[in-house]
Amino acid sequence: MHGPMNRRDFLHTAGVAGAAICGAALGGCSSGGASGSAGGGDLRCRARPHPQADAWKARLALAQGGDDPARNVRTAIEKLCGADGVKTFVKAGDTVAIKPNIGWAQGPEMAATVDPAVVATVVRLCLEAGAKAVKVFDNTVGMASKCYEFSGIEAAAKAAGADVFQCAPHRYRMLKFDDPRCKRLSEWLIYEDALAADVLINIPVAKVHNLSYVSLAMKNLMGVQGGDRGKMHQEIYQNLADLNVMIRPTLNLLDATRIMVSGGPSGGKKDYVVAARTIVAATSSVTLDAWATDPLNLPWPKGHHDVAAVKCIALGAAAGLGVAEAGKIEVVA
Amino acid sequence: MAKRGKPRHPLHTLRIVCQLVFFALFLVLLVLTALGTAVTAHDNLAQLFLITDPLVALGSALAGGFEAILLLSLIVVAISALAPRAYCGWVCPLGTTMDIVDKIFFRKRDRSKNVAPRLRQFKYALLLALLVMAAFGIGAYGWFDPICIATRSFGMALYPMADQGVKAVLAAAERGGLPAAAALYDWAEKSHVLIRETNFKQGGTPTAYAWSWVFVALLVGLLAAQAYQKRFWCRNLCPLGGLLGLASSLSPLRPRVSDECTACDACRRGCKTGAFQPLQGEKKYAGCAQECIACWACEREFCPVDAIHIGAGAPRPIAPAPQVMPSRRAFLGAAATGALLAPAFLLDQRTRAKEETNPQFRPPGALRPDSAFMGACIRCGECMRACPTNALHPSGIENGIAGLWTPTFIFNIGYCDYFCAVRKADIDAGRTDEPSNLCGIVCPTGAIAHLRHADKAKWKIGTAVFDKSRCLPWARGEECLTCEEQCPLPEKAISHETEEVINLEWLKMPQPKRNRYEELEEKLLLRKATPREIDELADMPPKKRKLALPYVLRDRCNGCGTCENVCPVDGPGGVRVERLQTREIK
Repeated sequence: MHGPMNRRDFLHTAGVAGAAICGAALGGCSSGGASGSAGGGDLRCRARPHPQADAWKARLALAQGGDDPARNVRTAIEKLCGADGVKTFVKAGDTVAIKPNIGWAQGPEMAATVDPAVVATVVRLCLEAGAKAVKVFDNTVGMASKCYEFSGIEAAAKAAGADVFQCAPHRYRMLKFDDPRCKRLSEWLIYEDALAADVLINIPVAKVHNLSYVSLAMKNLMGVQGGDRGKMHQEIYQNLADLNVMIRPTLNLLDATRIMVSGGPSGGKKDYVVAARTIVAATSSVTLDAWATDPLNLPWPKGHHDVAAVKCIALGAAAGLGVAEAGKIEVVA
Repeated sequence: MAKRGKPRHPLHTLRIVCQLVFFALFLVLLVLTALGTAVTAHDNLAQLFLITDPLVALGSALAGGFEAILLLSLIVVAISALAPRAYCGWVCPLGTTMDIVDKIFFRKRDRSKNVAPRLRQFKYALLLALLVMAAFGIGAYGWFDPICIATRSFGMALYPMADQGVKAVLAAAERGGLPAAAALYDWAEKSHVLIRETNFKQGGTPTAYAWSWVFVALLVGLLAAQAYQKRFWCRNLCPLGGLLGLASSLSPLRPRVSDECTACDACRRGCKTGAFQPLQGEKKYAGCAQECIACWACEREFCPVDAIHIGAGAPRPIAPAPQVMPSRRAFLGAAATGALLAPAFLLDQRTRAKEETNPQFRPPGALRPDSAFMGACIRCGECMRACPTNALHPSGIENGIAGLWTPTFIFNIGYCDYFCAVRKADIDAGRTDEPSNLCGIVCPTGAIAHLRHADKAKWKIGTAVFDKSRCLPWARGEECLTCEEQCPLPEKAISHETEEVINLEWLKMPQPKRNRYEELEEKLLLRKATPREIDELADMPPKKRKLALPYVLRDRCNGCGTCENVCPVDGPGGVRVERLQTREIK
């Protein structure tokens, strides 16, 4: 009598308790899950600026030519930072977050995403500099699993020793865009690993974009954002400037090994791609974009855009993030 | 279950093990299908229970959606022709669910007086009516097939709950400062265990399906009906049970009662499906193969005198228990009901606008015309569960009652992913003949065909159309082009042209100022403006501004719905897929 009754009672109790837990969990999921919580009062992007960030606001370094993007990455970083390279901004025990463009389910030959060799090289350099952990992620546009796989970045970065993960909806934090230089956005969901890392490295790929003419360093930072990113497209240049005020990468590294000159930002045809064999390193996303947007510097199609038309550059420069005028940019080639 | 202190028959123990193994297999396959792109098997073996379902095979053969793989269901028929409805007792996941729930909630309930012998005839009548309707091209058998019921209830209601529940609990634990929870979440996501990839285009919405509460309610209803009789559904209603019952009449193996029977009634009271009944005019009982699910409890546990034997050798001739099969008149009635309902369903369908040319948004590869699809679709929901973006949902009766629970797209929730089942390995190896649509890969009948990637990219689900009263650039003068950005086609089906539009800032000026503006502008045009007037004009907002306005290139558009899905307009999007021009793109 006792045995079965107890078990029955137990099952009843367990069922009720389980339902209550599930209910609470579902309630929690719908209220807090994707929207994220406000977090602590001092929520901000903790990434350290490069020690020379202020001095090098107008400076960028170029590595061009050859068929080895990995070598160009090393060269560009050494030209910018000196022989110590990555060690100038990665300290032993640091957590490094790398945000490459993994946005689309395309192979590297389509230039919709960063060349995996570029990401892998940066991962190795950071680990060699003593980083405790290197995290590689992007809030992709296409399905994350496809983008991570097709781009080849997941496999290459993992092989280089990075922690590669897809962004989970509960790990976004609502960041207040409370800097007075932010003109349009008041808050946005930002991935917590981008906020918490000691060093943030922004690795865009150079390509055309249907709305903002080009997608470079300033635009690539959208990959740390959650929420409805379609709402970034209204007054996109001001939004990008605001985003770049709040999220300041330690280093920006433009992959222009190939550039997509048509069909952007998704691409998908080899006809859209031309070789540029260039890697650009800069501490300022604005200065890097100002240089890279210029058709004199990268093989953009004739008449595609004026530098002035890409207004986020001037807006970013006005916010003090970098320089927009070609004549003021110091190029270390 | 009457306990008489007698040991179980070994086959009884084996049966329980078998049930649990098949139930576990059912759940594992269910989750594998839901994990979409994680399942790389390019065939529908994950639909094992559906492709071996004889009712699915027979129904789709009649309705015109038969696939050769459904011949596997002959195995199940053969089992029934050898041992009675062993499938129901040993394999069926819905039956196992019934047994588990009965064990937990109703084990002490005395239901021995609830005989209702004529009720059990209903399953044969229902089977006949459904098959007649199938012959008319109505896939109604899918609503009643027990495997479809289990797949819908477990797969489209309980699994999404578990998926959300696991994510929510792990997220809560992670927030609570438990690093192990974060590690577990990452592992589960990476290894595609239980956790389904979240659709980020919508800002991270977890998988959910239309109608899911109905699927839960139906399951609970079927399980609760056991308060009246054990296995109420299996005994009285299940059309697959009826079909297997018919096959079981050939079975040499059946419950046989010998002359030692003392008519103590223990077998009738104990049997889950009421397979034992007193013989008329005799103080003896007889077992009925059509009703026996071969659970093997009677032989040792129920009968106090060991008069029951499930076997081939006959201790005494079998007299079929009375009233198992419906009368000829009842059969005729059932057939007539099916034959009348089917055309009525079809009439209902015809009243919906332009059914053949303007069907629901069907998955890529769906049989055309839509009436053929409706017959072949068993409403099991596998396509919806496999859909990686949660875009496919069970439809309501928008397309007639016959269309209930057939798949349709809800583009506000998901979109037809350009790559879907395409694997990197296939691209790298230059393989282009692999099926690329998960919905077609998992479809157990011929309702959704396999499509190569090149064909899927051109398969027209519908056509995107701008709603110029909602689209941000068209309606509100705001820049956007999110639709064009995200159009996945290498030759985008949305393009834009920068045009001059009225500047809303200019409209904010009061009329006298606007008049002054136009006056100055005319002067400037005629070169009569003074420098001061030129400055005055420059201080006013210009009347026109440049804005990129998007257009659909409809011959390129395949109606995948990515544009509608990502449109930042809340509520109905500024660009929506319409059911226009659904023929394939040249």
